[in-house]
Amino acid sequence: MIGFLAVSVGFSKAQCNADSFTTTCIPKLAEGFNFLKGYKIDGQNGGKAKVEYSYVFTKGTQYMINICSGKAGDIVINLFDSKRNRVASSKIGDQYATAIAFPCKSTSIYYISYTFSDGSGYCGGSALGFKR
Amino acid sequence: MVVSIKIPLTIHLNLYFCLNSTTMKSYSLLAIFLLLWACDSKKGPSKEDFEENLADVEENVVDISDDNIRNIINSIPSPLEISFIIHDAGILYDKSMLNSGDNVSKYNTNDKKALNLGIYGTDLGYTDIYGQNQDGIEYLSAIKDLADELSIGQFFDFELIRSLTESKGNLDSLLLVTSDNFNRINDHFQEQNRSNLSVMLLFGGWIESLHLTCQVATSQSGNAELKDRVGEQKIILENMLILIDFYVKNNGTLDELEGDIAKLKEAYDKVEILYTYEESTSEIVDGVLIITDNSSSKVIIDNSTIKEITKTVASIRNKIIQ
Repeated sequence: MIGFLAVSVGFSKAQCNADSFTTTCIPKLAEGFNFLKGYKIDGQNGGKAKVEYSYVFTKGTQYMINICSGKAGDIVINLFDSKRNRVASSKIGDQYATAIAFPCKSTSIYYISYTFSDGSGYCGGSALGFKR
Repeated sequence: MVVSIKIPLTIHLNLYFCLNSTTMKSYSLLAIFLLLWACDSKKGPSKEDFEENLADVEENVVDISDDNIRNIINSIPSPLEISFIIHDAGILYDKSMLNSGDNVSKYNTNDKKALNLGIYGTDLGYTDIYGQNQDGIEYLSAIKDLADELSIGQFFDFELIRSLTESKGNLDSLLLVTSDNFNRINDHFQEQNRSNLSVMLLFGGWIESLHLTCQVATSQSGNAELKDRVGEQKIILENMLILIDFYVKNNGTLDELEGDIAKLKEAYDKVEILYTYEESTSEIVDGVLIITDNSSSKVIIDNSTIKEITKTVASIRNKIIQ
C-alpha cells in the first residue's frame, strides 16, 4: 500500500522539461525574426505563481515573444515597462495569443512575465526574437 | 551565495523593483523610508541629519542573490541588435573597427579570455550581418581558441557554424546557432559558479558593440538615430555597473579599467532619457497579439558628451584587447 502511494506521488509530480519546450519554440518565431533568447518556464507544479525575466528593448526594433506549452492558453505572457505599467497581455477576454509582437517605441527595461491559467501544466518554454 | 555591493540611490530605487526576496525589499524600503523621513519630518531635519541619512542610504549595502545576478545578466541585450542597426543605417563595413583575430594569443588569463571572447562574439556577428564570410572565419577561429582554453569549446558547434558561414544565404541559421551557443555558454558559466566569467563575457561583448556604435555615430554626426543609440546605453550601463561590482566583490580585478569606467559613468550622468507612458492598444491576428506601443522616449545627449563617451569607451576597449 505504501509502495503504491509512493509511486502515485512520483507520477503526480511530473518533472517539467522546460528546456524541451524552449527548443521547440525557437523555430516557431515568425519569419524574419532573429533569435535572441530562450526562456524556460517552470511553475514548479503550481509552486510559482509567475516566472519573470527582463530584457532591454530598443526603440525602432520589433520584438516577438512566443510561448510553447502542453496546451493552448496554459500560460499567459504579460509585458510590463520599467515602471511596471502593463504594456500587453497575451490573454484578451477568452482569447489566448500564442505570441506577442511588440514594435518598441521607447528603449527601456521591460519585464516579460509568464503566469499560469487554471488547470495549467505549469511548464513551458518561450523564445524572444527581433527584427528591424 | 549572497554578495554585498554598494550602489547609488538611483540604481537602488530601480533595483527595488527587480528584487524578489521579501527581506531584500525590506532593506530597500527601510533605506527609502529613512531618506524620506529625513526630508519630511515636521521638525525639519538638520543639515547634519540629512547628510548622515543620505550617506547611510548611499552606503546601504544591498545583498544581491545569484538569482538576481542571473536575471541582470540575462537582461543585457545581444550585440547583434546594434550590428543590425549599424547595417540598416547604410554604414559601410569597416574591419578596422574590429579586434584583430591575430591578437588572440595575447590573452593569457581567464578573465582576459572571457572579455575578448565577448568582443570576438560581437565582431563575428558584425561580419556575418555584412556577409563578410572570410573575416567571419577568422573570428570563428579566434573564438574556438578562446573557448577551448576556457573549457567551453563543447558549446560551440564550430563545424556547423563554419559551414553556414562559408555557404552564403544562411544568415538566419548562422545567427540562430551563434546566439544559441553564446547563451548556452553564459548558462554554463553560471551553473558552474563561474559567474565572474559570464560577467566578463557580457562586458566584453557590450563594450565592443558600444565601441562600434560610438565610432559610426561620430563619423555620421548627422544621424540622430545613432546618437540616440549611444545615449540609450546609459540604461545598460546601470546594470553593467551592478555586474562589475559583483565581479569585483568576487575577487575579480579591473584595476586598469576602474578609472575609465568611472569616467564613462560621469559622461553618462550628463545623458537624460525622458520616458512618457501611454497605454498601448492591441489585437489578436492569426493567433499573434499585435501591440501598438503609444509610449515614447527622448534621449538628450550633446555632441561633446558623445565625443567624451567615444573616447572613454575606446580607451576601455583598447586596454582589453591589447
